[in-house]
Amino acid sequence: MAGFAAVLRKDLRLEMRGGESLVALVALSLLVLVVMVFALDPAGGVRDAATAAGALWVALIFAGVIGSSRVLLAERDNGCLRALILSPLDRGALYWAKLTAAFIFMAIAEAAAIVLMVLFFNLDFDWRLMRMAPVIALGALGFAALSTLLAAITGRVRAGDMLLPLLAVPLFVPALIAGAKASGAALGGAPFAAIAQWLKILVAFDVLFVNAGWLLFEYVIGEE
Amino acid sequence: MNKTANRWLGGLTGILMAAAIYMTFVYVPTEADQGIVQRIFYFHVPCAWVAFGAFGLVAIAGIFYLWLGQPVWDDLGYAAAEIGMVFCTLVLVTGSIWAKPIWGAWWTWDSRLTTTLILWLLYGGYLMLRAMADDTPQVARFAAVIGIVAAADVPVVIVSVRLWRTIHPAVLVTRQGGHGLEDPRMVATLLVALAAFTALFIWLLMLRFATLRMRARLGAIARGLNLAQAAAGDL
Repeated sequence: MAGFAAVLRKDLRLEMRGGESLVALVALSLLVLVVMVFALDPAGGVRDAATAAGALWVALIFAGVIGSSRVLLAERDNGCLRALILSPLDRGALYWAKLTAAFIFMAIAEAAAIVLMVLFFNLDFDWRLMRMAPVIALGALGFAALSTLLAAITGRVRAGDMLLPLLAVPLFVPALIAGAKASGAALGGAPFAAIAQWLKILVAFDVLFVNAGWLLFEYVIGEE
Repeated sequence: MNKTANRWLGGLTGILMAAAIYMTFVYVPTEADQGIVQRIFYFHVPCAWVAFGAFGLVAIAGIFYLWLGQPVWDDLGYAAAEIGMVFCTLVLVTGSIWAKPIWGAWWTWDSRLTTTLILWLLYGGYLMLRAMADDTPQVARFAAVIGIVAAADVPVVIVSVRLWRTIHPAVLVTRQGGHGLEDPRMVATLLVALAAFTALFIWLLMLRFATLRMRARLGAIARGLNLAQAAAGDL
């Protein structure tokens, strides 16, 4: 537990003292939303909740692929990863710390993206956004779990940066389907019953991959 | 793989495959509603069966590799993934050929099509990893982890995509229960085709597995030679 807190505190402090990961994540989310507006061209008066939610999930995937893996990959510099592995720190604790840091960064980026989505797609700031928040948070957690495990793999393979999205995005598909449907419905003001079945899939996905990452992390983070 | 086993397995596969082709094109009656196109079913379903079986094998081999650490499990998983990818591609291609005249479109985002496509993408990523990375125990561990995670993803994919949409015909287990093949000759043809493709899969798997084992031995010999040369150079 102490090891978990130490690594997490270090990552958050690193970010506060001028780390670029979070800035890059937010900037990337902004860019993806701008691109989606140009590509889809939603007319001024039309408030298409499903399209806006879809754009948000595209932003989440881009931010996740490029940003959340940085948390682990940053350790490659100066042999930090080796030092972490050599330290008496439990590898499970390392996984939980990295996952938590990646999740926090993604959640902040997504919060910014939600605000931008409301502005760009002419939606309203109201209670429906609050109902969408847990859906996005579950999606961010799922992707953070995936990318923490996969970054440990692709970080040590030639052309691994290219490989990460090739592995992560297909694995993320069930969460993407459920998340896009649930957030579109929540944003459109659908009753909770319409969202519940998608939330169940998201929760199942998160439970599965957070635990799979925890169990398998020690096999991929091992000796160089 | 020794020569006798290879010959027997190859011969068995040849006989079964010839029977499956004869039954598919000559023996089995033409389906009343769909016409001649429906015959692709007898190749489509066995391909799907082999593809899914192969991918299951990848995950099982991955678990055993992480557990026992023996390179044979890694080679088995690699061989199964390669062959599974070929058959998964065949499933998508034969499905498209069937779907165009029946559904009027090469592709629909039906649940089984989508699931198969995602499976194809998942194992595409697995094979990319193996192609890009060198042949080390570390990469074998990575591949095992990807194989396990991909297999764990499949049930969630199936559930989510089924909720999303579905129009694929349920032939083997219809929604009313029972199966949708009226004529016993259709059942017989399907069973022979399944046996033929299973034999083909096992044969290909053994061949590829033997090749990979041989490659591992060659690598060990080459490393030994390099060491010997280096030692000779030192003298």
